[in-house]
Amino acid sequence: MAAQPAALIVAGVFYLMVTAILAGLWRAAADASGGTVVGYTAAALVWYVATSEAATIALPPRMIEDIGNDIGSGTIGVEMLRPTSVLWLRIATEVGQMLPRLGVCVVVGCFFASVTVGAPPDGAAIALAAPALVLAIALNIVTQHVFASAAFWILDAKATWFLYQKLVFVTGGMLLPLEVLPDSLETITKLLPFSAMAYIPARLASGHFEPELIAIQVAWLAVLGTAAHLSFRAGERHMTSTGS
Amino acid sequence: MSDELAIDARELRRSFTTGRRRDRRIVEAVCGLDLEVNRGERIAFIGPNGAGKSTSIKMLTGILRPTSGEATVLGLVPWEQRRELARRIGALFGQRSLLWTEIPARATLEMLGVIHGLDDEHVRSRIELLGEILEARELFDQPVRTLSLGQRMRCELAAAMLHEPELLFLDEPTIGLDLLAKQRFRDLLLLLNRELQTTVFLTSHDVADIEHVAERAVVVSDGSVIYDASVAVLRGELLTNKSVRVGFSSVEQAGAFADGIDLEWRFGAGTPSVVVLSVDTNTTPIGPVLDSVMAADGIVDLSVVDAPLEEVIAEIYERR
Repeated sequence: MAAQPAALIVAGVFYLMVTAILAGLWRAAADASGGTVVGYTAAALVWYVATSEAATIALPPRMIEDIGNDIGSGTIGVEMLRPTSVLWLRIATEVGQMLPRLGVCVVVGCFFASVTVGAPPDGAAIALAAPALVLAIALNIVTQHVFASAAFWILDAKATWFLYQKLVFVTGGMLLPLEVLPDSLETITKLLPFSAMAYIPARLASGHFEPELIAIQVAWLAVLGTAAHLSFRAGERHMTSTGS
Repeated sequence: MSDELAIDARELRRSFTTGRRRDRRIVEAVCGLDLEVNRGERIAFIGPNGAGKSTSIKMLTGILRPTSGEATVLGLVPWEQRRELARRIGALFGQRSLLWTEIPARATLEMLGVIHGLDDEHVRSRIELLGEILEARELFDQPVRTLSLGQRMRCELAAAMLHEPELLFLDEPTIGLDLLAKQRFRDLLLLLNRELQTTVFLTSHDVADIEHVAERAVVVSDGSVIYDASVAVLRGELLTNKSVRVGFSSVEQAGAFADGIDLEWRFGAGTPSVVVLSVDTNTTPIGPVLDSVMAADGIVDLSVVDAPLEEVIAEIYERR
C-alpha cells in the first residue's frame, strides 16, 4: 500500500526524536555503570532502542481502535461481501501499509546508530534482525486483531487498546532490555508473546547471534494467527446471528 | 425455491434483541418477507427509515442470518454460501466504501481481481471496459481520497462490477451526489443492465432514482411488503404529484402571480418571494402549467420537484 509522503516524514521525525532521547538515556546509564548495563555496551544499547522503537513506531497508531470501529460501525459487513477471509485480507493490507513506515524507520535508525556509535556490534546478528523485525511487526498486527475481535461482542475496542498498548510498552522490551527487569519478571516477560514484538529483533540487532529467537517468533505467529482466525470466525458468526 | 430466479425469498424473518435487562425487548426488523426477482430485472426496494430494507439486503447478501424463513440468491443460500455468492454478486453502499482510499482505484481493482481469482489479462481488459463505460479511465489512476464523491462513486461501481456480477445490490447509491452526477449514475446502471443483463436491486429515498432506474417497485414497511407493482403503474397511480417552485425578484411579483393562478399554491417557507404550485399530473398536464409560469413577470428561479418518497408511501397506506 502506498503511504502519504507527509505521513512518512512525520513518522521518521517522531521516530528519530524518541530514539535519540532513549539512546541518550541508555548511553548515560552505561557510562554511569562502568560501560555496560546487564551485559549491553553503550553501542549495543543504542542499536537495541533503534530497533525496538522501529518495531513499534512502524505500526499504524491505534490500530485496535480502528479495527474495533470498523466492527462496531458495520464496515466489516461490507468486507464480508468479498470472496475471501476478512481477517487475512485486513492483515495483508496492514502489513502492506506498514512496510514504507518500517523502511523509513530502518533507514533513519541505521543512520542515527551508525553516526552515534558506529557499525552494528555483530554482522551476522544484524542480518537476523532484519527478518525478525518484519516478523515482530506481523506478530504485533495479528495480535492486535485478536484483541480487537472483542469488538464483535462489546462493540468498542478502546479499553482493549489501552490494555494492549501498556502490555507492549512494559513487557515487550520496547523501552528497555528485558534483562534489566528483576529475574522473575524477566522470565515471565520472555514467556509472553509481547517480547517477540520488540525485544527479540532488538536483542539480535544489539549483537546477540541467537537464531532460536526467530523460531520463537514463528511459533508465536502460528499460535496467535490461529487465535485471530478463530476469534474472527466466531465474531463473524456472532455478527451474522445478532446483526450487531 | 427456484434456481431460475435471481432472488427467491419466502417468509423471511429477522428479529433483534435490544436494550439491557429490564428494558430488553425484541424488535421485528423483517416480518415474513416474500419476494421473487427475475434475472435481468431492475427492482427498487423502497420504504421509510426502519422499514427493514437494509436488514433484508444483509440477509440476501449473507451478512445476516434470518431468524426464520428461507431464501436463495442466484440459487445459493446466502448465509450458508456467502463466499460463493460473493463471487457472483456486486454490492455498492452509498455510505461505505469498497475502495482503499490511499491508493489509486486501479490498484484496488487489480487487487479485487486477484481476490476474485481472475487472471491478470482478464482483469486488465475489464478495467479498460469499465473505464470506458463509466468514463473513468483517468480517475482510476488518481488516489481515491483525491476524488470528488461523484467520481468516487463511478470507481465504486467499477469495483462492484469488476467480476461481472449477475446481480447488483445498490443501497442508496446516489446519496450525496449532485443532480448531474445522479443522472449520469442512473444512465450507467441502465447501460450495465442493458449490455450485461445485470439484475439490479436498488434501495433509495430518491423518487427519481426509482423512476429512472427501476422497472418494478416493491415498497416495504414495518418489515413486510405493502406494495409490489411496475414503476409504470406506480408512476400512474402515485408519482403524479409534482411541486413547481417559482422564485420571483420581489414579494409583490410573487403575490401578483399567485393571485392569477388557478392551482393549489403556497408561499415558500420563510421565502415569500417563492410560490410553490402543487400539480397533479393526472388532471393537469405539466406543460401548460410551465408555459403559464414562464409568461409571468420577474421570474428568477424555477424547479420541478417530485413528491418526497415518504408522501408516496403515506398515500399507499391510505389506499390499503
